[in-house]
Amino acid sequence: MNKLRYGQSIVLILFIMLAACKEKTAPVEAKTEEELLVEKALEIHKRILTLDTHADTPLRMIEPGFDMAERHDPNETGSKVDYPRMKEGDLDAIFFAAFVAQDIRDDDGNTRAKALCLQMIDSVVASTERNSDIVGLALDPDDAYELEKEGKRAIYIGIENGYPIGKDVSNVSLYYDKGVRYITLVHSSNNDLADSATDPNGPEHGGISEFGNKVVDEMNRLGIMVDVSHGNDSVFYDAIKMSKAPIIASHSNARSVTKHDRNMTDEMLKLMADNGGVVQLTMLADYLREAPPNAERDSAMAALRAGMKPISEMTKEERTELRKTFQELNEKYPAPPATVTHVADHIDHIVKIAGIDHVGIGCDFDGGGGIEGVFDASEVMNITIELVKRGYTEEEVAKIWGGNLIRVFKEVQKVASDLQSDQS
Amino acid sequence: MIRLFFVLIALGIAKPVIAHPLRLSLCEIEYHSNKKLLSINLKLFLTDVNEAIVFDPYSKELAFCQPNESANADQLLLEYLNRFFHVKINGKLVDLKVKRKKLSGEGDNTALWVYFEYRQDAPLSTMEIKNAVFTDLFFDQNNIVYVHVNGESKSLMLNKKTAVHQLKY
Repeated sequence: MNKLRYGQSIVLILFIMLAACKEKTAPVEAKTEEELLVEKALEIHKRILTLDTHADTPLRMIEPGFDMAERHDPNETGSKVDYPRMKEGDLDAIFFAAFVAQDIRDDDGNTRAKALCLQMIDSVVASTERNSDIVGLALDPDDAYELEKEGKRAIYIGIENGYPIGKDVSNVSLYYDKGVRYITLVHSSNNDLADSATDPNGPEHGGISEFGNKVVDEMNRLGIMVDVSHGNDSVFYDAIKMSKAPIIASHSNARSVTKHDRNMTDEMLKLMADNGGVVQLTMLADYLREAPPNAERDSAMAALRAGMKPISEMTKEERTELRKTFQELNEKYPAPPATVTHVADHIDHIVKIAGIDHVGIGCDFDGGGGIEGVFDASEVMNITIELVKRGYTEEEVAKIWGGNLIRVFKEVQKVASDLQSDQS
Repeated sequence: MIRLFFVLIALGIAKPVIAHPLRLSLCEIEYHSNKKLLSINLKLFLTDVNEAIVFDPYSKELAFCQPNESANADQLLLEYLNRFFHVKINGKLVDLKVKRKKLSGEGDNTALWVYFEYRQDAPLSTMEIKNAVFTDLFFDQNNIVYVHVNGESKSLMLNKKTAVHQLKY
């Protein structure tokens, strides 16, 4: 009924506008059900808090001359997040993760990792200060809502890879004081805290190390969220046991939907629900769907390679021409993309196994994230549209887009407050 | 107009794009004035190296770091690197000569590490770094550069748009 009244009003307004213009135009067609659904989804998207828990944008911030206040073309530069595109996509809040690649685990390596991590954190803080008219540094859960009311984007800070903690647990409080509110214990290789899901040498500690346990204790005491993404399965089980507060997976998907060691099994999803934590779905194509074969491209490439003369006999001009031909083939036969449908399939599955209170979104923009339809921060509303199309209510969409993460964040702070009270 | 723009995006017809995996390489440059030693380490995905040089990510032709490594593997590697990578110390181009290489990891994540090492007597006043490796293959290639000079560390991100940067000491 409301829809009918709304539609009638639109037609009336358009009729008046057309009459005023006194120009011949095509007749106005009523909106389709699909268009009305999209409109409803966009209104929901605007009303709710939208929070993305994982972007490697600090890597962009160390690019000389990169300005977060400028809009960048993702197809030109590969950049996925800047402040204008956050506004376009109605993305209200984001965690920028300071990432330092795993290197040598000795005193020199640890010292350097710490210096590099602090440089990245300082870059984020400086960016928020330079752009204080449009963004603000967020430290507490409610800051996201406060900044949204002011019309500003909330910028939280995380650390991806506990390597910069080195072997000194006091570094955790240093990072907390700098504004860090979650730490991903490990990245693509094992470190002194924990085992990685993807270290080619296999596990080293059997999950979280003794030192890693101390780090988790300190994170609990301070109110830093424990992030198990990138850890192997044992890291997840250890974190569940060790942490006194709920944990998060800042960018991980469901393994039942897409088989990948970085994704979480149904048993883990159920335990995450029991823990009160949250799994933040990520937009990495390989974690969202198994790449389908691209036989036409493969056979065209093989034919081209078969006709090539030895590389060492080619001139520079011939190599340049060949590169162009290969690129044309890639464009002619693109790999079938991951889409927002895959994203929603994962969300549906996590909701089915863990419940609506334990799923969120962590796109991993600027760290490999970005799929067709959600290629950068300006397109995140397409997730909401797909969820609304699948029947998710506004309340449910709000939980997925930030409500669940904020609930965990508050619980983590409460546990910290209790622990600090007990100590005093 | 804004609404129309959003709807177009929502229907997936605003711009045809495909998903891209993370395209990254790592470079570490280190200098100690007391040791008078400059070292440059590149960590490159082996699939990218093969794609760049022999047009096939899974090629066994050059067989880097294998007993049957091709006799011209280093030459082809340096030819490629010299087009897309350089370091200039105090305005003078460092002549790239491979000191050693190693492989780490497995499958698509196998990395080729390439080490260069030089004696550097004169104190550093400037260091210019160009790192556009694989930007000829991937528009979204990013190259992280960690620079450690006399205990001070700094990180940079270089790519197709910003390929060169100069540091002053």
